[in-house]
Parts: sequence; structure tokens; C-alpha cells
Amino acid sequence: MVSKRLQLSRRTMLRGMVGGSVVALALPPLEAMLDAHGEAHADGSGLPRRLVTWFWGNGVALADPGNAGGPLRFFPGETGPSYTLTPQLQPFAAVRDYVSVLSGYRVAASYPLRRGHHDGCAILSGHPFIELPPGSANYASKFGGPTVDQVVAEEIGGQTFLPSIQLAVSRRIISSEGFSLQFISHKGPDQPLSQIFDPREAWDRLFASFTAPEDPSKPHRLAALDAVMEDAAQLKGRVSTNDGYRLDAHLDAVAQLRSQIDALAPACEIPPPTTQANDEVGGNEPLEEVNRAMSDLLALAFACDITRVASVQFTGSVGYTVYHMLGQSMGHHDMTHDGGLNDAVDAATIETMANLAYLLEALSLTSEGTGNLLDNSVVFASSDASSGLSHSVENMPVVVAGGGGGALAHPGVHLRNDGGNSSDILLSCARTVCPELPQIGGGPGLSTSTVAGLMA
Amino acid sequence: MRGTIATLALGLAASSLAGCYRGDSAMGATVGLGEDGDGDGGDEIPAELEPAPAALRLLLQRQHVNAIRDLLGEEAAAVASPPPNFALNGFDSVGASQQALSDAEIDAFEHSARAVTEAAAAAGSLSTWLACDPAVSGPETCMDQVVGSFGRRAWRRPLSDDEVARYSAVGTAAAADLGSFELGMQEAMAAMLQSPYFIYQVEIGEPDPDDPTRRRLTQHELATRMSFFLVDTLPDAELLADADAGRLSDADGIREAAWRLLERPEARRSLAEFFGEVWRLRDLLSLPKDLGVFPQWSPALAESMRMETAALVEDLVWEQDADFLEVFTADYSFVNAQLGFHYGLPGAVDLGELPTRVALAGHDKRAGLFGHASFQALLAHVSTTSPTLRGKFVLENILCRTVPPPPPGVVTDLPDTGDARTMRERLELHMSEPSCSGCHSMMDPIGFGLENYDSIGRFRTEDDGYPIDASAELDGTPFDGAAGLGAIVAQTPGTASCLVHNLYRHATGHVETEGEQVAMDALEEAFEESGHRMQDLMVEIVASPAFRVVAEPE
Repeated sequence: MVSKRLQLSRRTMLRGMVGGSVVALALPPLEAMLDAHGEAHADGSGLPRRLVTWFWGNGVALADPGNAGGPLRFFPGETGPSYTLTPQLQPFAAVRDYVSVLSGYRVAASYPLRRGHHDGCAILSGHPFIELPPGSANYASKFGGPTVDQVVAEEIGGQTFLPSIQLAVSRRIISSEGFSLQFISHKGPDQPLSQIFDPREAWDRLFASFTAPEDPSKPHRLAALDAVMEDAAQLKGRVSTNDGYRLDAHLDAVAQLRSQIDALAPACEIPPPTTQANDEVGGNEPLEEVNRAMSDLLALAFACDITRVASVQFTGSVGYTVYHMLGQSMGHHDMTHDGGLNDAVDAATIETMANLAYLLEALSLTSEGTGNLLDNSVVFASSDASSGLSHSVENMPVVVAGGGGGALAHPGVHLRNDGGNSSDILLSCARTVCPELPQIGGGPGLSTSTVAGLMA
Repeated sequence: MRGTIATLALGLAASSLAGCYRGDSAMGATVGLGEDGDGDGGDEIPAELEPAPAALRLLLQRQHVNAIRDLLGEEAAAVASPPPNFALNGFDSVGASQQALSDAEIDAFEHSARAVTEAAAAAGSLSTWLACDPAVSGPETCMDQVVGSFGRRAWRRPLSDDEVARYSAVGTAAAADLGSFELGMQEAMAAMLQSPYFIYQVEIGEPDPDDPTRRRLTQHELATRMSFFLVDTLPDAELLADADAGRLSDADGIREAAWRLLERPEARRSLAEFFGEVWRLRDLLSLPKDLGVFPQWSPALAESMRMETAALVEDLVWEQDADFLEVFTADYSFVNAQLGFHYGLPGAVDLGELPTRVALAGHDKRAGLFGHASFQALLAHVSTTSPTLRGKFVLENILCRTVPPPPPGVVTDLPDTGDARTMRERLELHMSEPSCSGCHSMMDPIGFGLENYDSIGRFRTEDDGYPIDASAELDGTPFDGAAGLGAIVAQTPGTASCLVHNLYRHATGHVETEGEQVAMDALEEAFEESGHRMQDLMVEIVASPAFRVVAEPE
């Protein structure tokens, strides 16, 4: 049993092959492969490109809470490159050339089925979500297909130590309505990817899961996994088709672990362990501290080329995060559902964008070649509704940031496309990493075309 | 308006389309069939039963840890770290039957398997599986024996020769390489604990010899399903022996084994975990409250609340073996000093840290579950009450009725609430909105009757300085306060039915299908006949035909 991923040249990528012998790469690993211009690998290929999805729950504030179908405060009045930074976008001032804002787009994938928040989450995959027959049991839903980060990870994840990583900041997410609201990365309907909430765990996963070549347990760990794979492959012949798919996923994951045990550690400087925890202090979540720690770790992981794909769940769909740093005491979801609190929602939106801006700045402050990590990354950021008050999936607040390795418009623009399919934005982002990707999403959310004005 | 609801409910079961009328239960008030059995224990498998397909079901996190404890001891269990569960349809076990594993989970299973075997080696419990002398019988033969005996217990069935050889090879190679037979055993066991045969409940079934058109669980599969449901861990030696001997092939044999399992202390914990999930008690410890409004809120107070409800369940089910519907009406409770002061109970000063039985005697209109601060705090916002959440929970989780979602695109905002002074007045405005009234008039009036309890369960007579009107109704019957609501709920036929359905969902890892209705009806009847004894219900669920048969894998 060999999984598809094993056939990729992970080990070759992790080791520089010189004359058939293995050598450790110099530090940092990518610099060694740059040409004289600092722009490409010695073999002529470009610098690695990365994709991040970044999510917050419950939408943004309305321009007028008395008009729930009306405009959002979020968007600038003008379109094009010289758009005004609204107060909601002001946090991006330091990186504004990297930031595009897209208005008017709708979650086309959400139209066969409607259910507040569940439908908006489909923006991350472009596939209509799946309702589980509730009978008289609790409602639950799943994603209808892979999220954009996992579409990309499926293509390029085999080139790095970790195919992707899932990070989260606020723990106050909903776990009672199924996978759709709980997770923002999905390989498929039954395969949500759990997120890491504690920066110390993220550090472990990114920087402390390498196996030394001389580790005496190594051959026995591999032998154990081989035995497990034999069990799983034999079992597959005796179970239902659906369980067969689940065992395929199991086998893929075992193969991935096997390849990680067998891989050389990336020869880059391992940062010191982070000490930031994600525990409440005086009843308050350390949201900004955790966001900073996670953003810093992500920049380090990209610089070391440990992974090229990430998702960050800043707050959850229907999440009840309290923006205590703003003096608020109400859960965000409840707050967005009360028109009288529109100003408080707006303050939370601005705070959310400031946290996103921290990540963008962390990437932009990490140099790579002649530029920085943000030049070679794309960050797709959005929510599960236009505004929580309306539950609308029209006119979604969308930010696309980064240079995409030169594939994205620079400086960034405000593009307005009323009724546009939000999956077109996903495809645009995905193609900065996988230029040949034919399509993304499915059903009414299917996209085969990029957003022209967003691309360079 | 009906058109709007019907449109948004597309894709839901047809039964839920009519969901916005008070008293309309998606499940219906199922009445016993009135066909009394012939006293043979109801062992006939009804012809109309269409079993659900079997699915690989991950051991729940706690079941995995308990299994490690049974296999390798407390020191090993202390370092077990299987990945968390993800619920679907409100149940971890339903999620565990559908989730496909990814890299993070496989990493966690490997890490855990290596940590527990290492801890067991250090603690000396690993060597209890060594019943041969490798120097005498030879390392291969001895390793075969270790793998066979450990595997039979860990995988809950005898291993095939191939399987023994596969893992024995891992162990003997490691023993040779590491120069120690016991280190080899450790590697073999770590491998076996990563196998799908340990990680999942594997249910393939076999043709039923009495009726070749049907498939039933094998004896070992059934023993495993029973054991993980009733005691949250692996079958013990006696249950495995029952399976070996085919003693679980009829309802009476199953009942006998089940009653024995219920005498184990793990049965109490297992049922407590069920209520921790279905009544969300396990969420209390991480439940956020606004400390500006409620400075007394603390993990210790939350734990006192959790213990109160858990203790009442334990008392009714295990100490008294009483009619479980009394959980909604009990005029006594189990309160520690902290909670006693919180409630303002006169004798609080005499209470200790552990919950002690106290008479409520009409105190603050409290009686039963709805008078517990656990319920009131869980079903509230961080700083205010939520009659909607409380009403929704009663309908969905206690009565198993379907409450449709807010219509998408419709503003969820309360209309101008400038003149509203209390939560009730605000929500009554909500109900005046035509797009909201259908469902909110199902939920909110139930919660209005609990407005005397604030967001952390203290009794109050005013909301923001204005007097509270706690007059309310459920299914047209008026009530005021927790005791009144509990009395109605205990009399509502859907309550017992809902308990049966929820316990069955947890036990089998799926939401019951139409084809299983005949078995659900029989379970409801049996629960009723037992006088709503939970222990009887647990036993009848495992003895139910629907628990013992499976569909052909498709």
C-alpha cells in the first residue's frame, strides 16, 4: 500500500541531492538555492509560494443597523488601487500595498441549502454544505468538499515536512452543530482537520517533531506503522465503501507519519520554544497574545519551509468570543445579532483586522530572497456571513493579501463585483500556488475562472 | 410565512417542515404497542426491522484511555493522549462513526501508544503479559504468545495466525536489535495499540444462523459494543469468555451479562458521561461568564453545579433505582457548601465540599433538573439569561422536538426594544415579528417560566430593576418556575421517548433510522414497563434486536 502522497519526492525535497549523496542544506535552506538575483532556486524554479486562510466568525458591522440588507462599513467607497482605508481597514496601513479588498461577492455555494452560518462557511470550500438527517437529534452539517487550503495542500503538501497546519486563537467556538462550524480546514466531508489552540503545541508540531536519523527507536516505529498499514489495507476489503474511504484516509495519514519519521530535519535554525499558552487570565482569553505567537510561528515555519499551507481560525462561526480588550463583556455572536450593538460589532471588526494585520506584518518583516515572505504568500480572509445581523451570504467581507509570488495585483485594489461567485476568489488565490489548478468548488459554487482584476 | 419556512427547510426530513407549531413533535408521542410479549424476553427479531449499516467507530477518547488502563495499568493510562472526539448530531459517538482520521490524529495515536507502553514498562505492568520464558520456549514462540494474549484483550477477539506473526515479527526484530525481550514486547504492543483493530470498534458481522437473510454482530463484536456502551472500556475476561462460549446469542444471555456489567463502578461513570454530554454538564468547567457582572463565578462554583446534577442522576439511577423521570421533579437535591450559599439555603453553613442531600421544600420554586444552577448557567449568555436557549434545550434535548433555524436572510435582530425593560419584554417584541414568531413562540414561553433564575442560577425577582413575570406555559399547560416546568415535562410522553432515543444514539453511534422504528417502539415500551428505570433501559438497549444486527456492508 503506497499512498499518493508517498510517491511525491518529499525526501528529495528535504534533502539536497548532490551527485547522488545526501547533504544537509545550508541555513536558511532556501537561500542556498537562490540564484544571483536572489529570486529563484538554482534550478530555475521560483521561490516557494504559500497560502493561508484566515477566518473570523459572524461577519462585520452594517453601515446602518436599521437597514440589514444595506451596505457594510467595511468597504471603501472607491474601487481600484487607491482606495481609502476605512476605519475597518486602517489596521492594514503598514502593508496596504499588499492588501486587496473584494466587495459584492456572494457565497454561490450556499444557495442549494440555507442555514445561517453553515451556509456562509461554504465560502472556504466553494462546495454546498451537507446537512445530516437530523431526525429529532441535534442539527449538524459537514463541508461538501475540501477547503481551498486542502486543495492546495493536496497538490504541494508533499514538498514540505508538514503538508499544512491548522491554527486557532479563540477557543470559544461551537462544537455542537457539526464539523462545518467547528473547523475551517476540511479534506472532505468526513475529514475535518483539527486546529491547534495552544502556541506551545504549535511549536511542538512545527519544530519538535523531527526524528534524529540515529534514533534507536526509528526502525521499530517504522516497522509498527508498516504492520498497521497491512491491517488497515486488509480491513478495507471487508468494510463498506464509505468506511473504505475512511481507511484510505487513515492509510494516507500513517504514510505521512512514516515519511516524517524517515525525513531529515530541515536544516534551519529551530526557534526557541514559545512560552505563550492559551489559557484564560481572569476570565479573559489572551487573544492578542496568542494571535501574535501563532503569527510569529507561522512566519518562522514558512521561512524554514516546514509547510506552505496554513489556516488560522481567529474566531469561530457562531463563536462567542468576548472582545474584552475593548471593554466588551458580551459574546461576539450574540452581539452581532442585536442591531443596537452595531458600534460594538464594528469595534470588534477593527480589532479583528488588527490581528490579521499582525500576521501580514510578521510575514512582510521576514525577508526572503530580495523580498519578504508576504511577497510569496497569499492570505485569504473572510467570515461566515456578511453581517451577523442579517445572516446574509451576499456582499461578503473578503480580504486577499500578499504578493502571491508576483501573481497578485500589487499594489492591492478594491474590486467590486455584485453577485460575483466567491469561489472565483478562492481559485485566484489557489492559482498563485498551483497555476494549473483547473477549478475549485462544486455545484453552484464551482469556479473555473479567476478574478481578473485581482491577478497581476 | 409558512412558505418561507418550507423553503428554508428544503432538504430536511418532511416531518420537520411542520415544525413550528406548539406541541408538534417530530418524533410524535409514541405510545406502547400494547402487544405484550409471551414472556420469552422478546428475543424474536421482528421481520420489519431494517438494521442500520455498521460503521467503523473510533473508541471515544475516554474509552481509549480506559482501555489502556485495563491493559497496562494506571501509570500507562495517565500518559495516554488519544485525540479528542468531534460530535455530530449532538453525540461524540455519532461523530466517531463518521470521522476520517488525519495526520494530527494518527500522530497522536502513535505518540500515545509509545508513551503508554514506555510507562507500563517502567511501572512493571508490561511484563504481566509475559507468561513464558523466551530463553526456554525461544523468543519467537514466546513473542507469539505475548502478542496473542495481549491482542485478544486489546482487540477484543482472537487474532489470526497472520496477525500474530505480523506483530510478533515487530517484537522479535526489536528485541534482537535492542538486546532485550521486554523492549521487543514494548515495541510490539505499541504497534498493536496503533492498529485499526484497537483504535476502532470494528463491526463486520456474520450471517445469522437462524435467518441467513440477516447479519448479526459476531459474539466478540457484540461483547465489545456492549462493553464500550455500558462500562466505557474493553470487555473484561468474563465477557470475553461469554463471547467465546456463544452465551451472547440470545436476549436473555445478553441481559445476564449486561446486569453483571452494571454492577461494575465503571457503569456509573459511563452513564454519567452520557448525561455530561446530552445535558452538556461537561461544558460547565470551561463555561465563560462575565466576571464584571458575576465576580463569584469560578471553576469551583461551576464544578459544584456539575456535581449537583451528577449526584441527583447517580442517586436516582444507582442508589434508589427509581423512576428516572423524578429527575425533573425531585424535591431534594445534592448541594455542597459553596452551592448552598449560592442558593441561599438556610443550612448551607453545615454543608461540606462534597454534595450532600438537602430538602428543597419549595425553596425558590426549585425542584428537579430545571432548578439546578448547572442547567440555568449552561443555558444563558455570559451576562444575561436566555429564555430562548432554555426553551430550545427543553424542546430539543429533553423532548426531542425539532426547532427550525432562523430563516436565512431574515434579520435576527430584536425589533426596536427601546421601551422594553426586561428580557421577557424584549423577547415578546421578538415574537411580534411574523418571521420570528413561529419558532420563538415555541421556545421563548418555556424560558419565560425560568426568568426567576439568573445567568448563574441565582433566584431573583427583578430583571434590571423591574419585576419579573415568570408565568409561562408548555404545550398549553401553565407553569411558573422550575418545579412547575419539571412537573409538566415528567408527564409529557415525549420525555421518556427522548431519553430512549438519545441513549440509543449514544450507544450505537448513529441516529436511529426509519427501519429501526419497530425496535425503538419496543424499547420505549420496555422503559415504560420498567417504571422508567435507567438500568433497565441500558440492559434493554443492548438486548434489543437493533443493537445486535447489522446491515451488509455496502
